Amino acid sequence: MRSKYALRFLALGYLALLLGIPVALVFVNAFQDGVGAAWAAVTTPEAQHAFYLTLVMVAVAVPLNTIFGVLCALAVVRQRFRGRALLNALVDLPFAVSPVVVGLAMLLVYGRRDGWVGDWFADQGIQIIFSTPGMILATMFVSLPFVVREVIPVLREIGTEQEQAAATLGAGSLQTFFRVTLPAIRWGVAYGVVLTTARALGEFGAVSIVSGKLSGQTETATLFVENRFQRFDETGAYAASVVLALLALVTLLAMNLIKPKEAQG
Amino acid sequence: MSIVVDSVSKRFGEFVALDDVSLEVRDGSLTALLGPSGGGKSTLLRVIAGLETPDSGRVDIAGEDATEKPPQRRNVGFVFQHYAAFKHMTVAKNVAFGLTIRKRPKEEIEARVDELLKLVHLDGFAHRYPSQLSGGQRQRMALARALAVQPRVLLLDEPFGALDATVRKELRAWLRRLHDEVHVTTVFVTHDQEEAMEVAEQIVVLNEGRIEQVGSPKALYEQPANDFVMGFVGPVSELSGRWIRPHDVEILREPTDGTEEAMIDRIVHLGFEVRVELTLGDGEKTWVQTTKGHAQELELTDGEIVWLRPNEPADQPSDEPVPA
Repeated sequence: MRSKYALRFLALGYLALLLGIPVALVFVNAFQDGVGAAWAAVTTPEAQHAFYLTLVMVAVAVPLNTIFGVLCALAVVRQRFRGRALLNALVDLPFAVSPVVVGLAMLLVYGRRDGWVGDWFADQGIQIIFSTPGMILATMFVSLPFVVREVIPVLREIGTEQEQAAATLGAGSLQTFFRVTLPAIRWGVAYGVVLTTARALGEFGAVSIVSGKLSGQTETATLFVENRFQRFDETGAYAASVVLALLALVTLLAMNLIKPKEAQG
Repeated sequence: MSIVVDSVSKRFGEFVALDDVSLEVRDGSLTALLGPSGGGKSTLLRVIAGLETPDSGRVDIAGEDATEKPPQRRNVGFVFQHYAAFKHMTVAKNVAFGLTIRKRPKEEIEARVDELLKLVHLDGFAHRYPSQLSGGQRQRMALARALAVQPRVLLLDEPFGALDATVRKELRAWLRRLHDEVHVTTVFVTHDQEEAMEVAEQIVVLNEGRIEQVGSPKALYEQPANDFVMGFVGPVSELSGRWIRPHDVEILREPTDGTEEAMIDRIVHLGFEVRVELTLGDGEKTWVQTTKGHAQELELTDGEIVWLRPNEPADQPSDEPVPA
C-alpha cells in the first residue's frame, strides 16, 4: 500500500516541480502590477500583431500537416514500396534536429543571397526568409511528425478488414477512406492535431532565425515574449506567456469536449 | 455455373498458396472449402472475391470474366472471421452500407434493413453499436450487411472460427436454414470437417495449394480419393498395414479367415460410442470404434486377446457424386 502512495507522490511531485510551480509563477508574475497592466501589455499593436501572426502559423501549418500526416501514415502502413522504411524514419527528423539548426538550414535553401532557391523565389517576387512564408515553413517543419506518429499505430491496430469489407460492399477507395478509415482513426488524428497546434503555438528556435525579428512585422507571440523580456518589460513578457498558455489549454479542452465518452480513457 | 475458377495460381514470396487450382461451383449451391491452415482455402476465397489477385488463371462469376475486376465491381458478399464490423456505425448503418454507397432511396434502404435484421434475428438491435453485441450477433450483422446488396455469390471466411463451441453449432444450423431461404450461391471456408459435413452440399478439400478431392460429404467419407482426404474427413485406424475407418473393423472372439490377433489395452466408454484401443501381433497400436450394446454383447475386458476383421465398405457403389 505504501509503495502505491509513494508512486503517486513521485509522479505528482515531479510534475509539480517541473511544470506546475513554474507555470503558476508565470501567472503570478503576469498579474503583479494588476490585471489592467497585464491587459494593456498584451493589447498593444505589437502584441496584437504577434498573436495574429502566431495564429496564422497555426492556421496554415496545422491543416497542411494534418493532411500530409494522414496521407503519410497511410503510405507507411498500408503500402509496400521501396523507401517505406526511409520515409518512416525521415518523418522523425524534426524531433531529432534542433529547431535552431532547422532555421539555419532554411537560410541555406531559401536565403536571398546565398540560398539554394532563394534567388529564384526572389525573381518571382516572393520573399521567403525574413517574412511570413519562411516562418510558416519553419513552423510546418518542426510540427510535422505529430499527426503521422499518432495515426500510424491506430491504422495498424484497426487493420485492413473493415476497408476490405467496404470494398466488397461496393465502396471505392475515396468512399472507403471517408466513410470507414477516417472515422476509425479520428481520435488519433484529433490528438495529433492538438499536439501539432501546441507545437506550432510554442515554436521559437527555427522561427527566430528565419523571421529577422522585426517587431510588429515578423514577430510571433514567442518572439514577442523574448523581446519584452530582454527589454526588462516583465509584465509584458509574462502576460503574453499567459495568453500562449491559455491558447494551448483551449486546444486541449476543445479536444476533450468533442471527444465522446466511449473514446476516453 | 455460378463460379468458375480456372487454373489459378498464387504465390506469396516463396510460399505457394494456390497451385493450378480449378473449381466449379453450381448456381445456388452451398460449398465448403475444407483443409488444414495454410492449405490455400482462404486465399482461394479471397481470389474469388477480388481481395487477392492471382498470379495466373481466371475467375468467372455468373458467366462473366471477373479476373481483372476490383472487389467493388464483383457483386460478392464477403463475411470475415473477425466480423470486420464498422465500429463507428450502428447495426442499421452497417447493414445499410452497401445500399448507401449505391445511393438507393432512403425508404428502400430502411425497408431492406428492416427485412434483413428480421432475417438474421437482430430486429430490435438496429440502433446498437457493434461493441454492444455478442460475437454471434456481430457475425449475423456482418452476414446481413453482405446480403443487403443482393450479391451473386456469398463468400464466408471461417465465419464461425472466432465463436465458442455452442454458438458455433447454433450458427451452423442457422446458416443451413438461411441458405434454404435465400438460395444465394454460398462458399465458406472451414478447417473443421464436422462443420463442412454438417452444412455443405459439396466439399472441396484443399491441401498445400492443391485440390485433393471434390464431392458430397458422403462421397468424401466413403470414397476418399487418397490418404490425405481419408485422414482429414474422418477418423482412421490402421489394420494390416492400411487405413480403415475404425467402425469398419469387426471384433471377433474366434479367429477366422483374414483376421488379425490383437490384445485389448483399454476400453473407453464415451456414452453410445465405445472406443477399444488394442495392440496388434506386430506391436502396432490401433483402435476400433463400436457401440455400447455391441461391446456388452462381446463382454470385452482389458488385457483380453481378440481377433480383428476389416469390413469392406469401399467396394459398395455409392450415391451419385454431387456435380461440381
